[in-house]
Amino acid sequence: MKHLLKKIAMLAVAGGIAASAQASPEADREAFQNFYKNRFASVPMEEYPNGVYSIDPVGRENWEAIEEFPPYETFIDDGQEMWEKPFANGKTYKDCFADGPAIAGIYPLWDKKNGMVMTLPLALNKCREANGEKPLKYKKGAINAITSYIAFASRGQKTNVIIPKDDPRALEAYEKGKKFYYTRRGQLNFSCANCHLQNAGMKIRSEVLGPALGHTTHFPIYRSKWGGMGTLHRRVTGCNKQVRAKPFKAQGEQYRNLEYFLTYMSNGLELNGPGARK
Amino acid sequence: MQNKMIGYVMILAVLLFGGLSTAQAAKAPNPEAAKVERMIADADKARKRAASVEGEWRDVGKMLKKAKAALAKGDYKTAKKLAAKAKSQSEMGYIQAVAQKDLKMPSYLKY
Repeated sequence: MKHLLKKIAMLAVAGGIAASAQASPEADREAFQNFYKNRFASVPMEEYPNGVYSIDPVGRENWEAIEEFPPYETFIDDGQEMWEKPFANGKTYKDCFADGPAIAGIYPLWDKKNGMVMTLPLALNKCREANGEKPLKYKKGAINAITSYIAFASRGQKTNVIIPKDDPRALEAYEKGKKFYYTRRGQLNFSCANCHLQNAGMKIRSEVLGPALGHTTHFPIYRSKWGGMGTLHRRVTGCNKQVRAKPFKAQGEQYRNLEYFLTYMSNGLELNGPGARK
Repeated sequence: MQNKMIGYVMILAVLLFGGLSTAQAAKAPNPEAAKVERMIADADKARKRAASVEGEWRDVGKMLKKAKAALAKGDYKTAKKLAAKAKSQSEMGYIQAVAQKDLKMPSYLKY
């Protein structure tokens, strides 16, 4: 009898793992957001786009002071200039993005034609290349100016990642991103979730670990540590390096799928980029 | 005249054989270097295996680069140490990735 009970219990546990591993994106999002609601019961959901400053009152004071003269402001201006300046063929970004510049809310999106996750930086470079311009680099430099301008124009839009049901490859990409997020990697054997979910709010040396909820709402960011702007994929590269894993290519499949999953987790949160971080 | 000819032939023979033996000495395989080369190649193979499952660790590539530089300088001890470390880290990275082949959601997330 004892053995039978043990087996039933084991099957139930295994069943539980399998059920959550194969849960729908909506069930994932609900579990993800509920985790933070329980962990930081006093923090309203609309605070999470402010990243770690939603849960770290001391850091928040510094951040609010920085935001009085935002270090990303000049990048917004540069981005506007880029947006308006015609390419060599006379066309502009507007010819690629008719609804622009406030288009950040639709990315990342599932590109059915190419069977891949399309991010904003990738879409911008596709536009450039289609118009005979050189693509921009994906971590530092001018990509941050144009995306700062777009992010600023998109402020107030809600994160709304869609996983279309008519193409199973979209769900597959989401699942790959989810798998990436929960996989331990590197010599330190940490997953993204270990730091930003399980231990959000805890200290790592002198820094408070930020919640993953809202992580995608405010990029690109001016990071004091960098002394400049950086993209989401630049930041993820840094995270992977910190756990001593070999990072993947910015805008490669791994990070695009990760962005798809992670942004979906923040569905419903307001976009507030560009941002300033320590 | 005949003596002169014999002299020239001898000089030529000395130069020729001397040159050959020097070249042979230069090409003589150094067993220690060959061993280190094999170690580096093995470590690189292990690195590629880890990378194939997205499990490569950050410093392995740098270790191999440094190992190759040490080998080129004849510093076999350093090269061996680095190659062994790179191989060991690659094997651990592979095991780490394969062990997580199937996604297991953390228990702290409540569905």
